[in-house]
Amino acid sequence: MAIKKKIRNNNKEPEPFVFKKCATIMKSTGRYARNLYELRDIISIISEESIFHHTYQFFMKSHVMEFTNDFAQWIADYLFERTLAERLSNIDPYSFKDINELRKAILVPINEHLEEFPQQRDVFPGNEFYFNETATIVFPLGIKAKNLAEFLIAIRYVDMESIYYHFYEARTRLDNPYDDFSNWFEFSLGKRELANSVRSIDPFMHNIESIRQQIVRAVELELKRDMEESIP
Amino acid sequence: MIDRYLGISPKGDILLIKRLCQRLKGLSMLHINSTREGGGVAEILQRMVPLLEGLEVAVRWEVIEGDNRFFDITKKIHNALQGYPEEFTDEMWQYHYEINRRNAKRIDLNADMVFVHDPQPAPLVDFRPDGKNIWIWRCHIDLSNPYKPVCDRLMKYYEKYDAGIYHVSKFARGAKAFEFIVPPSIDPLSEKNRELSDQEIQEVLERFQIPNDRPMILQVSRFDRFKDPIGVIKAYRIVKTYNDCILVLAGSPATDDPEGEQVLQEVRDYASDDPDIKILLLPPYSDRDINALQRAATVVLQKSLKEGFGLTVSEAMWKGKPVIGGAVGGIPLQIIHRVTGFLVYSIEGAAFRIRQFLNNPEMTAKMGERGREHVRQNFLITRQIRDYLSIWYYILKGGKRVLELG
Repeated sequence: MAIKKKIRNNNKEPEPFVFKKCATIMKSTGRYARNLYELRDIISIISEESIFHHTYQFFMKSHVMEFTNDFAQWIADYLFERTLAERLSNIDPYSFKDINELRKAILVPINEHLEEFPQQRDVFPGNEFYFNETATIVFPLGIKAKNLAEFLIAIRYVDMESIYYHFYEARTRLDNPYDDFSNWFEFSLGKRELANSVRSIDPFMHNIESIRQQIVRAVELELKRDMEESIP
Repeated sequence: MIDRYLGISPKGDILLIKRLCQRLKGLSMLHINSTREGGGVAEILQRMVPLLEGLEVAVRWEVIEGDNRFFDITKKIHNALQGYPEEFTDEMWQYHYEINRRNAKRIDLNADMVFVHDPQPAPLVDFRPDGKNIWIWRCHIDLSNPYKPVCDRLMKYYEKYDAGIYHVSKFARGAKAFEFIVPPSIDPLSEKNRELSDQEIQEVLERFQIPNDRPMILQVSRFDRFKDPIGVIKAYRIVKTYNDCILVLAGSPATDDPEGEQVLQEVRDYASDDPDIKILLLPPYSDRDINALQRAATVVLQKSLKEGFGLTVSEAMWKGKPVIGGAVGGIPLQIIHRVTGFLVYSIEGAAFRIRQFLNNPEMTAKMGERGREHVRQNFLITRQIRDYLSIWYYILKGGKRVLELG
């Protein structure tokens, strides 16, 4: 509600976009799985932080992996159970409000797979799945954008963890299912079309650099349109 | 001093380091290891300690002293932790402890945060001063498949530490609530990694009489069986039947590695009189020579059989070089197979991948470029300093999952 009020009051300057970044400290849980049964059993009991790390934080990787979470990637790479990896890759972690709901959703295809294929083998030593978790430090980068032009300069150069924080991590902390960037475009700048264009980027199919490029392109297009419209 | 990394390291890392230093002002940090030169630990500390001093962190670096007998024992411990069965007597453990006891009398162990690196000084925790301090055992060794009797004995010391830090998850022991994963790092501004002119590179090649008319395959590492120098020569001989090339094996001796000389002799014997194999025993502080060799190389190998981390991989990647590494220890963290280089599991695999690189310059250049960016994001010294300070702050704050720094 407060946001909507701000848009109606056109005389007020919009809130600037404050770029933040998150850095993670990786912790070992000491638990590892050698086969699908062990993976299933540990997923059932491991900390929420560990499930969070292996699903949501998968997107912090700078390169595109074939699947969309660490469990699916390991199942494909080392257990060669590609059907199960495909099923797990279609689970959207952002559609769950509770990590334990996500945990249950991950266990469903694993249990079904084990029922169908109960004979499972261990991976070669050294290829086990290690369960980790992270602690996160969030801090402002000292960069603020008051308008779209300033935003464009900043988004080109901010660290990739900043893009991760605003584009991916935002979906776990906001009341709406979107990212910080598109929310600022819509609710602070009143640019709904631009917001929708950023929201249409499939978060699972790109690495962070590619997300950055797509946002840059969308903002450039919007600025160009603004300039053309301002010509008398 | 840290500002020299602006434009090189991710800016956010530098910013976070500064903010954490503000919050940790007035506290002291102590690093203890077993050598000032040779090997990755000393190399990182040589660079990290002055940087932390520049950030006004009260930091000290102490080195334990021991005789040949002590270092023979610790080398055996090192081998056993990497899976090699070694016979140990109670007397050997007592001697290990006794040398540490003497060092504890000599070294001022008072500090708010103490990092004890590797097994050599691990028993120092028994002489930990009273009061509010944090002791961390920083392990740089591949502990994924240790020889159990030796590992169990060492773990008795580990139990007394507040936390452990390991290079990769598979080395962690699962014995503590606070076990962190922090990969080591390289310094892009050090003599070993800074940019060099063509003239500087040429001068080094001429001094070592390395011709530059053919592709050069390079492995830089200690002469240690776990680095498989003989396997590298075998791989080179396979490649040589298809592509004319030169092999350079370059390594420095470490004061805490008595086996080095023996392995070096084995390698010399195996290389025999092949004029295209250059075996270079470089004195400590040959960093510029190593830098030049890495920049002159066509392909860089780190064909380890066991590895703590294998920082030479990041060094070569930082120079945009195509890298082939054994899939052990921390190497798979640096080499993302087929993205930033190739992981290999055999001598034949190493030979095959060398040939691929030698014959596909476009792919080689692309992997080199991705490798450099991967190192920039993950394996520069600023990231490691950031991690150490973050862990310190995190423990001080009682291990809260999310910490906001305003």
